[in-house]
Amino acid sequence: MKTQTQEVCPERYNISFNRGDLSLLINLSGQFSLKNLMVFRSDINREISKQKLNSVTIDFSDVCYLDSAAALAFVQIEKEAAYQSIQCQLINLNNESKGIFRVINEDALMNVPFKPEKLQDGFNYHLMERRRLHSKSEKTQDDFIYHLMERRGLPSKSKKNYVDFIRQVGQSSWYIARDFVRFVTFIGELLIAFLYTIRHPKTMRGKDILFYIQRAGVEGLPIVALIGALIGLIIAFMSFLQLKQVGANIYVPSLVSFAMVRELGPIMTAILVAGRSGSAFAAEIGTMVVNEEVDALRTMGFDPIRFLAIPKVLATVIVVPILTIYADFFGVLGGMVIGVTSLDLTIRTYITQSIKTIQVFDIVTSLIKAAVFAALISSIGCQRGFQVRSGAQDVGKFTTSAVVAAIFMIVVADSIFAIMFYYIK
Amino acid sequence: MDSEEKTPIIVVKDLAARFGQNVVFEGVNFHVYKGEVLVIVGASGCGKSTLLRIMIGLQKPYSGQVLYQGTDITHAEEKELNEYRQNIGVLFQSGALFSSMTIKENIELPLQEYTDLDPAMIDTIIKMKLGLVNLAGYENYHPSELSGGMKKRAGIARAIALDPRVLFFDELSAGLDPVTAAELDDLIIKTDEALGTTMVIVTHELESIYKIAHRVLMLDKEAKGIIAEGKPLELKEQATDPRVKSFFLRQKPATPDEQRFYVS
Repeated sequence: MKTQTQEVCPERYNISFNRGDLSLLINLSGQFSLKNLMVFRSDINREISKQKLNSVTIDFSDVCYLDSAAALAFVQIEKEAAYQSIQCQLINLNNESKGIFRVINEDALMNVPFKPEKLQDGFNYHLMERRRLHSKSEKTQDDFIYHLMERRGLPSKSKKNYVDFIRQVGQSSWYIARDFVRFVTFIGELLIAFLYTIRHPKTMRGKDILFYIQRAGVEGLPIVALIGALIGLIIAFMSFLQLKQVGANIYVPSLVSFAMVRELGPIMTAILVAGRSGSAFAAEIGTMVVNEEVDALRTMGFDPIRFLAIPKVLATVIVVPILTIYADFFGVLGGMVIGVTSLDLTIRTYITQSIKTIQVFDIVTSLIKAAVFAALISSIGCQRGFQVRSGAQDVGKFTTSAVVAAIFMIVVADSIFAIMFYYIK
Repeated sequence: MDSEEKTPIIVVKDLAARFGQNVVFEGVNFHVYKGEVLVIVGASGCGKSTLLRIMIGLQKPYSGQVLYQGTDITHAEEKELNEYRQNIGVLFQSGALFSSMTIKENIELPLQEYTDLDPAMIDTIIKMKLGLVNLAGYENYHPSELSGGMKKRAGIARAIALDPRVLFFDELSAGLDPVTAAELDDLIIKTDEALGTTMVIVTHELESIYKIAHRVLMLDKEAKGIIAEGKPLELKEQATDPRVKSFFLRQKPATPDEQRFYVS
C-alpha cells in the first residue's frame, strides 16, 4: 500500500453505517487498536443486532492502523454474525491489514490449554472451566475469544465444593508428611557428613566456618545486644509494676535474670538467628542450586551437604551459644537500668541479687538449648535451600519456609526442653 | 581420528529415562570412543540434557547402563562414582562457577581436594589453565565480574583442572555471540588435539557442529531415541530421514500447512 505514516493517521476512529434493505455497509476509518477495541466492538455489534439482516459488509479502505487485537475483534464480529446466519464480508483490506489478519490462527484460539490453570486457592480450575464453558454453550461464538478476553477475574468462590475441600485436606496432609520425611532424610545425611568430617578433619573447610562465624555471629552482635537490653528493660519494668504493690522490688533482678537466662535469652537469640542466618543459608544454597553450582559440586566429586551445609551448621552451633550469653548479659544490663533508676537499688545489690538467682545449671541448660536451636535453624535453612528446583520464586518460597519452620521448631524444642529440664533437676 | 583405532571409553547400553509416566527416551545405545568429539543434537525437549546428566551421574536412568571403562556408573556406589567423577570434567550451561569464590579459587578447589601439590605448583597450574582458555590474568576476578563467554571459558578451565579423560559440555554455545562461540570452538579443537581429551558436547549451533564434531548423535522427541548417527557432513548430505535433513539444513519440517486463516 501507499506510505501511510502515523502523522496523517487520525488518532480517533470513525464508523459510519449505511443501512440497505437487508444489508448493512460499515465504513471504518482511523485507528483500530487495543485502546478502543471494547468501544467499537460493542458499537458494531449493537448496530448489527438492531434489525434483521442478511449481509454485513465491513469496508476497511480508510483504516490506517489496525492491530492484531482489533483484527481479532473483527473476526469475532464476523463469527457472531455467521452464528446469526448473517453473511459478513471484510473488504478493501490493504496488505498490512491482511498480514495482521493472517496472524490470527483459529486453531490456537480454540485450543483447550494442555494443563488446567491453577487457582491461588488451590481449587480445581479445570472443573470450573468446563462448567463455565458448558453454561455458555448457547453462545459458542464467545468461546474462542474467551481465553483471550474474559479470563481476567477468578471464577466465583461460591463454587467451592465438598470434594475440593477433602482433596485439599488430603493434599496438605500429604505435603506435610512428605516434608517431614525429607527433613528426617536430610538430618540423616547431615549426620553422616558430620561423622565423615570428624573422621577426616582435613576435609573441613575452616575458611568457610570462620566466614559464617563472622556472618552469623559477629555481625549479629549489635542487634542481639539491642534486643536483649530492651527485653531486659521491659521485663524489669513490668515486674516492677506488679511487685511494687507488695513491696517486693528486691525480686526484680531475680526475675529478670531468671527469665533472661532460662527462656528469653536462648529463644530470642534463636529467633534472631533464624531470621538473619537461616534465611540467608536457604537463599544462598537455593541460588546455587538454580545456577547449577550444586550440580557442578557433585560432578567435581564433592558432597554438597559436606561442602555447603557442614560449615554453616558448625559455625552456627559455635556461635549461637555465645550470642545467647551475650543476650543474657545485655538483658540483665537492661534490667539494671530500670533497677537503678526507678527501684532505688544500687548496682551492687542488683548484681548480687542476679548472681544469687542464676545457677550454673541454668547457664548450662541455656547453652545446650542454644546449641540445639542453632543446629535446628541451620539444618532447616540448608535443607530448604537444597529443596529449591528452579527459579527465583522457589528461592523466595523456600527462604520463607526456612524461617517459619525454624521458628516453629525452636518453640517445639523449647517446650520439650522445659519438660526435660524440669525432670532432670 | 581414524575409524580403525576406535576403543570405546564410554558405553551406553539400552538406556531409558522417564519423568514420572513420561518416557523421555528408551533403548538408547551408543559408544563414545577415546579421543573423539561426540556431539549430541536434537530439538529442545528430546532429552539431550537428561542423557548428559545420566552420563555424568547426576541422575539415575529408568533402566539401562552407562559403562565407563567397564564400570557401570548408573548403579555405582558413591565411592566408585566419585572416582569416575575425578576422570571427567563438566561444563554447565551457565558455567556454574561458584559465585562466592574467585576464578582462581574455583579452579583451585579440585586441585586441592584431589592432589597433594604444593600451593606454588597449584598456582602455576591455574595460570597455565587460564592461559589455555585465554583468560590469563583474571585469577582474582569474581565470576560476576566476567562476561558470559568469559564465564564459560573459566568454566572450561575449571573442568580441565584435573586433566580429565572425558569432558562434557552442556549447551556449549547457547547465548553467546558468534565470535565468542567461534573462539570456544577453537578452544575445543585445541584442547582435543593437545590433550587428546574425549568430549561429549550438547549443542545446537550447526556451524560449531561442522567444525568440531567427529561424530554426531541425533535424538528425537517423537522417536524417543537416537534417529541418526554419523559424521556431520555425511548426515547433512546423505540423510534421508526428513527430521535429520531439516535439522542439518536448518529448515522447518516440510509438513502441509494446515492452519486456517480468515483472510486469503
